Amino acid sequence: MIYDTLVVGAGLAGLTTALRLTEQGQKVVIVARGVGATHLAPATVDVLGYLGEERVDSPASALTTLLSDVPGHPYGRVSREQLGASLEWFCRRLERLGYAGGLDHNRLFPTAIGVARPSALAPRTMLGGDLRDGGRFLFVGLRGFKDFHPSLLADNLAHARLPAPVTARALELEPPAERRGDLSGRLLARRFDSGELTDWLVRALQGRVEAEERVGLPPVLGLRRADETLADLENRLERRVFEVPTLPPSIPGMRLYDTLTAALRRAGARLVINAAVVGAQAHDGQIESVQVASAATTMSYRTHSVVLASGGFASGGLTLDSRGAARETVFGLRVAGVPDEGATRFVAGYFDAQPLSRAGVAVDDLLRPTGRDGGPVYRNLHAAGAILAGAVPWKEKSGTGISVATGYAAADAILAPSALGVSGSIG
Amino acid sequence: MSDLIRASLDHCVKCTICESFCPVSQVTPLFPGPKYAGPQAERYRGVGVSPDSSIDYCSGCGICTTVCPQDVKIAEINSRARAKLWEERGIPLRNQLIARPSVLGRLGNPVAPLANWALHNRAVRTVVQSVLGIHRDAPMPRFAGRTFQKRSRTHVAAADAPAVVYFHGCGTNFYEPILGEMVVAVLEHNGFRVIIPRQDCCGLPLQSNGNFPAARSYVRRLVANLAPYAHQGLPIVANSTSCGLMLKREAHEILGMEDEDLKAVSGSMFDLMEFLLRLHERGELRTDFGSLPLTVPYHAPCQQRGHGIGKPALDLLALVPDLDAIELEVDCCGIAGTYGLKKEKYEISMAVGNRLFDDIRATGSDIAACDSETCRWQIAHGADVSAVHPVELLHRAYGLDTNGSRRAHAGAAGRRKRSAS
Amino acid sequence: MSSLEADVLVIGGGSTGAGVVRDAALRGFSTILVERRDLVDGTTGRFHGLLHSGGRYAVKDPSAAVECIAENRILRRVAADCVEDTGGLFVATPWDDPDYGDLFVKGCEATGVPAEEIPVAEALRREPRLNPEIRRAFAVPDAALDPWKLVWGCARSAEQHGARILPYHRVLDLEVVDQRVVGALVRDEHSGEEFRIHSKVVVNAAGAWAGQIATLAGCVVNVRAGMGVMIAMNHRIVNSAVNRLKFPADGDILLPLRTACVIGTTDVFVPDPDDTAIRQDAVDLLLDEGEKLVPGFREARALHAWAGVRPLFEETHDVAETRDVTRSHALLDHLAREGVAGFVTITGGKTTTFRLMAEVAVDAVCQQLGVERRCTTAEAPLPGSESHTLYGLDSRLAAREPVPQSEEIICECELITRSRLEQTIKRRATTSLDDIRRLLRLAMGPCQGGFCIYRATGILHHGDRVDHTEANRALVSFLEERWKGLHPILHGDQLRQARFDDWIFQGILDVEHLPA
Repeated sequence: MIYDTLVVGAGLAGLTTALRLTEQGQKVVIVARGVGATHLAPATVDVLGYLGEERVDSPASALTTLLSDVPGHPYGRVSREQLGASLEWFCRRLERLGYAGGLDHNRLFPTAIGVARPSALAPRTMLGGDLRDGGRFLFVGLRGFKDFHPSLLADNLAHARLPAPVTARALELEPPAERRGDLSGRLLARRFDSGELTDWLVRALQGRVEAEERVGLPPVLGLRRADETLADLENRLERRVFEVPTLPPSIPGMRLYDTLTAALRRAGARLVINAAVVGAQAHDGQIESVQVASAATTMSYRTHSVVLASGGFASGGLTLDSRGAARETVFGLRVAGVPDEGATRFVAGYFDAQPLSRAGVAVDDLLRPTGRDGGPVYRNLHAAGAILAGAVPWKEKSGTGISVATGYAAADAILAPSALGVSGSIG
Repeated sequence: MSDLIRASLDHCVKCTICESFCPVSQVTPLFPGPKYAGPQAERYRGVGVSPDSSIDYCSGCGICTTVCPQDVKIAEINSRARAKLWEERGIPLRNQLIARPSVLGRLGNPVAPLANWALHNRAVRTVVQSVLGIHRDAPMPRFAGRTFQKRSRTHVAAADAPAVVYFHGCGTNFYEPILGEMVVAVLEHNGFRVIIPRQDCCGLPLQSNGNFPAARSYVRRLVANLAPYAHQGLPIVANSTSCGLMLKREAHEILGMEDEDLKAVSGSMFDLMEFLLRLHERGELRTDFGSLPLTVPYHAPCQQRGHGIGKPALDLLALVPDLDAIELEVDCCGIAGTYGLKKEKYEISMAVGNRLFDDIRATGSDIAACDSETCRWQIAHGADVSAVHPVELLHRAYGLDTNGSRRAHAGAAGRRKRSAS
Repeated sequence: MSSLEADVLVIGGGSTGAGVVRDAALRGFSTILVERRDLVDGTTGRFHGLLHSGGRYAVKDPSAAVECIAENRILRRVAADCVEDTGGLFVATPWDDPDYGDLFVKGCEATGVPAEEIPVAEALRREPRLNPEIRRAFAVPDAALDPWKLVWGCARSAEQHGARILPYHRVLDLEVVDQRVVGALVRDEHSGEEFRIHSKVVVNAAGAWAGQIATLAGCVVNVRAGMGVMIAMNHRIVNSAVNRLKFPADGDILLPLRTACVIGTTDVFVPDPDDTAIRQDAVDLLLDEGEKLVPGFREARALHAWAGVRPLFEETHDVAETRDVTRSHALLDHLAREGVAGFVTITGGKTTTFRLMAEVAVDAVCQQLGVERRCTTAEAPLPGSESHTLYGLDSRLAAREPVPQSEEIICECELITRSRLEQTIKRRATTSLDDIRRLLRLAMGPCQGGFCIYRATGILHHGDRVDHTEANRALVSFLEERWKGLHPILHGDQLRQARFDDWIFQGILDVEHLPA
């Protein structure tokens, strides 16, 4: 049996490309070492938040400047239409989570430390926190949940650079004790799903939320029924309620992962976790099969196309050894954007531009990794997400946007007739 | 090897993915979670006696290692720390007993009716709980009377067919021999000659109860039985997915065993569903399945996911007409081998499995599928449904189920789903 | 301008200064200690933590070896809670001169350093990660010394006997009247307030900066700064102090320090003891030397790098009798040397012998003041060490049992509870997360603050004394300071961690855009 596409990596880029291909009728298998970074990230889709020091109000407007400043940026490999289409597609596929937004205007959401951070798309549970129109906010912390500090958040937010005035205050509540010690997000989410904490929260906040105040909560409103819980809270408190993303583990991220993987399974894709790619067999510039290590054996998957979505340094898709040599860990592809041997990889100022930040795999217009000559290393190998060279996503606030856009575009490249013609059909 | 396992803690970036999946730490504060108990606590160990008895509350389900994106051998680090703890304290009689299912099987099978009565009699179980510490409500299988090994002696295999070796494990041998017969029937239906070597326990419960030396000798003995076939290049299939994983990986990584025979056996070992799916991918699996209009929730055991092969049972069940296999999201049934039998851990085990049981009941089905026998017994106990190995559904769909009423599984008899029309 | 008065003013908050202020306070003197930064932020806070058995000096510097073994035994008693009995090994790798072993044996015999030759197989059994090609091995009673506990223990003990400990107080000038030092002009670095301290004797325990202090009194102390780089590795690759069996050289020690282990060190003269940028060649040398001791060292996770400066005293003064007790440390009585009374300098030396250095310095103080008061620091245990129980590696882990999830844990890597953190913030009355780090080991584990620093900042702010701008500054300056020790060794797993932390601080929290 030959798969149509094998995807390496189960992060947002891998899941996006896999789902897009599967719903277009392809037989897809995803192999991943572990669960992807969706569990760690805030679950917003950030297209472009900052252009240098300037906060971006409209990614649509800012993209041209970005691409002229940074010609090798991953967004340069995606057409404007594809970028817009990928976001629309994302919102449609994740309708259950109520994603809204687009390229034209970033929303502004408070971070857990009270900075206003731009995002293009956000799920329903976060939309109530949009700061653009200003207003009055109450941030509520839960004693025992250590990853949310509402008074610092509120103080910083009140002094943030915002388009409209905001007042913010904080409150800390003590949830009914199930245990002492740390309350993890997972534990709290479970208790919200069962309804137990919803009732308690409504009682605890009744009469304490001022008129027109929007209530910001830690991102723990549940894994299975978060939207219902949110609606319930809003109805009973008669106020807008929203989640504020914080440190990992990200419950909203887990909802995203669960929704995407359930859709993949329903559509007939295969997901193989705890499996690492250890090799590939190619012939005549084309990958024919990929070898994947499972417990004690190596399985060979024959496939027409491959998408590499293994992430950057944070995910192990790229590594740097103790002598400063960078490597792409799955196929041994050339890593672009690495300073020359012996040159500095890091400078002393933590917030300064770091020489290694934009390193990654360089790709052509079909998102295929290229060799030194600029031609694709393999005709049927594409790459998407944080593995790509050219961006500094944690600074630009563009990580999830790049994942969705390039994941989508890689699928397009594989589905397009010209691509099939180039890669050739194998029987 | 021990250094490689411990050294893997260096890969931990504290991302908390393991913690968000750990089923035990979510239901009890007695276990701090895999990140804490594994790579984090390991930096404090190695000097003096074991400092953290809470490591004993790790159930060994292995989900943490499966989901870790950094290749930290979390469950393996925990297993070793637990073994060291028990080595210092001395393993209690209870753990020594329940860690030897083949010994218990040989004791119980000759007197199966009496033994079964006793094990399911509340008064007897209450005494057993106070004397030994096995919880009186913990699910116990029934001795079959005649072991699978004995039954298979009289089996005649086709002469000229390609061979496959069957590693059936203690569960099939002593408690579910009919399942073993179904496995053989399915393999033969697909044109194989099934070799059933003499074999005994794989040592997994001894390992998870911290008795590494005894576990190693069990592994050596079993490998001696299987290695000759592995060296001939024959595939070995295991229907107990946890026993299969023991030989594929854990004997090497946790027990530190390195010999050539084990390597050969590991390299030839396949989970039964994995083997059948590979056949299908080569176009060699018979797909003459009849209609089986059932809704069957499927639970992939933790150890099955440790194989890193996806969930082949689901892909195979998808080939059966009208069969609606539902992938259950919840990760762990709670039994974790012998963990849930223990008095002090039974409640934790049931709390862990609770959501799984609820999800199964919510499907309205009377039958659930799962590749591990201890999980099946837990599911039958907790969800009050029949729990079958997925191969049993294939067996039925192939029409090999000539004695229509026979069931290999524990729990209530299945009911067919009413058809839509 | 306000002023303070004391018999003894100690300048320098490292082990020497802390030892002096404690010894003096125990002898009944009124004492004040001033340190321009936080305590233990100088050399003492940046060494590898080896409590020497003396084996290292047995051949090259016998009198230092004799001192070391004597102090080793004393500190195991009186500073037990600061000492972990790791034991030590001297091992000869294929790169080491095979003849040194015999010299080592003779040297240890002559100096009384207990050294027992053990079979190589035994050494490898104790330390499975060691190079299997080692030729010879000796066991010695090296131990691991926690410098933060040690110095703060001395400070606390001194306070219990009436001393005042003043970190973040910089000496601007020494007041000299009629060839006598009568005190100092000091500035509180937090408030900016300047005030005078009047003293009978000033003890200059400023380590590598002793020369700068001496100049203020018109005296000359020729201390050269020898910079040494060290790298902490993420976990205990070895559980004992492993030394190369050779003449002391760069990168020849690998030893445990709490939950990490440290490879060190180098030795490069630097003109300015405050300018300690870490160079790539030092890092490469250490990793290469580590590889000789432990195959695969370069693939192990390097956690953090730092540089300390050794005070290397060079006698240039042409004086007939210098109160130079040994070659290893130097007591300079400036009355005898330059005719300046009320001023002594104690310099050179190593942390292992800090108590002895302090004893010698306070003896000189007694002499200058014309009194005889006996030193008791060889018998009196530090606060926390009264039971003489040596520190155990697993102490923090064991403390969380039997119900690990019974308290909020803020720094998970180093197992610091919320209550402990809050107590420390309150007692220390600081707005610096780095100060807290030195006291508790906050953010010193694998994630280097990725998770705990946001939490600690929130807790710091919550305490009401600290407003949001101070809290933000604490967080940002912590990140900037931490980066100095990360970027020189960023590769492999630690780069992965650092990038992940970037995602937390910049991607999720967006700390770069905090209000100024």
